[in-house]
Amino acid sequence: MRMPRLRPSTLSGRYARTAYLFLLPAILFFAFMFYLPIGNVVATSLRTGPQADQWAGFGNYAQALADPAVAHSFLVTLTFAVAEVIGSIVLGLALALALDQPLRGRVVFRVLLLVPYLTSVAIVGLLWRNILDPELGILNRVLMAAGLPGQQWLNTAPLLTIAAVTLWQSVGYTMVLFLAGLQGIPETYYEAAKIDGADAWRRFWRITLPLLAPTTLFVSVMAVISGLQAFGQAYIITNGGPGDATDLLVFHIFNVAFRTRDFGYSSAQSVLLLIVIVAFTVIQLRAGRRGEVTY
Amino acid sequence: MSPHPSRPARLSRRDMFRLAGAAAAVPVLSACAGAPTTQSSAAPGTFTVYWNAGHDYQAYRKVIAEFEQANKVKVNLQKYQWPDLRTRLLADFASGTVPDLVEEPGGWVQEFAISGNARSLQDFVDRDGEAMGFPSDWQPITVERNSYQGKVYGVQLHLTCNTLLYNKAMLRDAGLEVPTTWEEFLDAARALTKDGVYGAALNQDYTYVHPWLAQAGVTPYNRETGAIMEPRADAIAAMQFQADLIHKHKAAPVPVSSTVYSGPQKLFSAKRAAMIFTGPWDLDPITKTAPDLELGIAAPLKNKVHATQAAGVSMFVPATASRPELSWDFIKRITALEVEQAATKETGMLMPRVSWTRLPEVQQHEQIKAFADALPIAEDSTQEVRLTGQLGRWEEQLKLMYQQVIIQNEPAAEALEAFAKAAEGFLK
Repeated sequence: MRMPRLRPSTLSGRYARTAYLFLLPAILFFAFMFYLPIGNVVATSLRTGPQADQWAGFGNYAQALADPAVAHSFLVTLTFAVAEVIGSIVLGLALALALDQPLRGRVVFRVLLLVPYLTSVAIVGLLWRNILDPELGILNRVLMAAGLPGQQWLNTAPLLTIAAVTLWQSVGYTMVLFLAGLQGIPETYYEAAKIDGADAWRRFWRITLPLLAPTTLFVSVMAVISGLQAFGQAYIITNGGPGDATDLLVFHIFNVAFRTRDFGYSSAQSVLLLIVIVAFTVIQLRAGRRGEVTY
Repeated sequence: MSPHPSRPARLSRRDMFRLAGAAAAVPVLSACAGAPTTQSSAAPGTFTVYWNAGHDYQAYRKVIAEFEQANKVKVNLQKYQWPDLRTRLLADFASGTVPDLVEEPGGWVQEFAISGNARSLQDFVDRDGEAMGFPSDWQPITVERNSYQGKVYGVQLHLTCNTLLYNKAMLRDAGLEVPTTWEEFLDAARALTKDGVYGAALNQDYTYVHPWLAQAGVTPYNRETGAIMEPRADAIAAMQFQADLIHKHKAAPVPVSSTVYSGPQKLFSAKRAAMIFTGPWDLDPITKTAPDLELGIAAPLKNKVHATQAAGVSMFVPATASRPELSWDFIKRITALEVEQAATKETGMLMPRVSWTRLPEVQQHEQIKAFADALPIAEDSTQEVRLTGQLGRWEEQLKLMYQQVIIQNEPAAEALEAFAKAAEGFLK
């Protein structure tokens, strides 16, 4: 009996198999370390009780969508994220433009600005909490020594204060991204524009900014994601207070899980937050595509 | 300008989307997926204890060494701040790998007894209770708060209370007597507020509200009637009194919301606040950081009632702990009277045994005696809430209400009304 002849594998098929083989460790790592827990969270979001062992269907989702505390936390988080996006782009770009000039010691400045980004949010939080404490912090001592009134920012503008601290920490990274973008713009564009009589402001608006669009898009996407996921700032600096003024959504979710011990409800809120983050990211990417410029 | 082939390379939208999506999904979702399991407690020869970072006393180290020698095990004493300990413990309960013994800040024993995560110790108490003096030698309040449905689930380690600490020199220089009532306290605080020094300092931590409510005669929750924060008018008065002290009379600084409750102690130690309300846990930092401070400890204030808040930590054994006999042996050793005596001598901490109050170290020590004298009027304010299994939600709402009034100066009546409405929702 003749055996059926096996189809000879194509070159592209062999390449694909090899590629998947190389990818296998990463796929397994992501599957077990990330996607399995995500699946677990989705499953938990459909249950209720202290042990998350009673079926709840979509009850947790309905509850979250009607919960004023969740709506408040979302609003707080959105405000925080918007502040982060605007601050990251404006400040990061400004610093990148400044440090893209032939200044003496600019490498030192770049490193100094990047150091906070390399520091953990816990350390940054503790540092600024101690600096900003109205009674025991060093900032008010300095202000008073200079004859200026003391600040109470952690009480009067807590959300903006933790947003500013976050910006202080992350702006170095944003600056590096913009700096890389700036250095990728060919000098010939600027030379041509100068010959055409364009002043510095016009060159910035017509060359620099449009050609930095991909970087700006990346920065804004990452800033929105990190802003919506912010946790350590509220946990370390303000504990979500005063009242619920800095009750960022992930901090709120954490408290629902680990203080009120409702893992099902907190999981449902996590899934909803994921949907919101993906939605924001898609909207940003689509909007970014429309703004693309090529020369 | 014309298209340029050497445009700077960049991430494609697809790459960016993948990156963003992965970054978005992973931390948020995995935060709720439970902590990675550890096998520390299950390791043979290792006895794992979750302990508060501030309670690693030499007196306890000695007991641990004896325990290790007697049982041929190595104690893995894992130290945490309370919120971190809770996070770890709940993750452990979810994963099924639990420690052998847990120290808790007060309130968790009944919560975990209700949820089935704590082991009843009644069989051990029936067997060894008489020999170790339990419960006969324990203050009754400490047995009640560690029992559920007639069974003992935890054993009290410390019994503390909150009272008035004052700077003797400041009061003496101002010609003031030690206040005993709210009115006297307000007058003293106002008189002492000058030259960068506050008459008093209140805590940002909501748990410090309980002595005020107790002194106002307020019952936080009555399970039989369902009444919340009644008499309401007295609860409002208690909250408004504290807010006015800060915002109207400017006799105390506005507290700052954070995870620590040492703010008033630091101001007091720095001689920038003349009076604070706290417990024996602050004695050690005060005496260490301000050895020249003339520390006075007075009885809790009196308003409608002469009362204060009972506090203190307990120990319990997780329901699925594999060596409960060893855990019980640890509890017995660490609650022995001579250990209590050594710990008090070392740190000034208050203890739950009745016989402890009669020790010469307690009777002859001015500061410890002041706290010990306040114990009989110390109340357990959250017992009724704990037994509903809703303490976590209650505390979240209480923190919100407290900070709205004390820090944000919102009207106490409105904040309390909102608190009661929220509490009714989850307590019914």
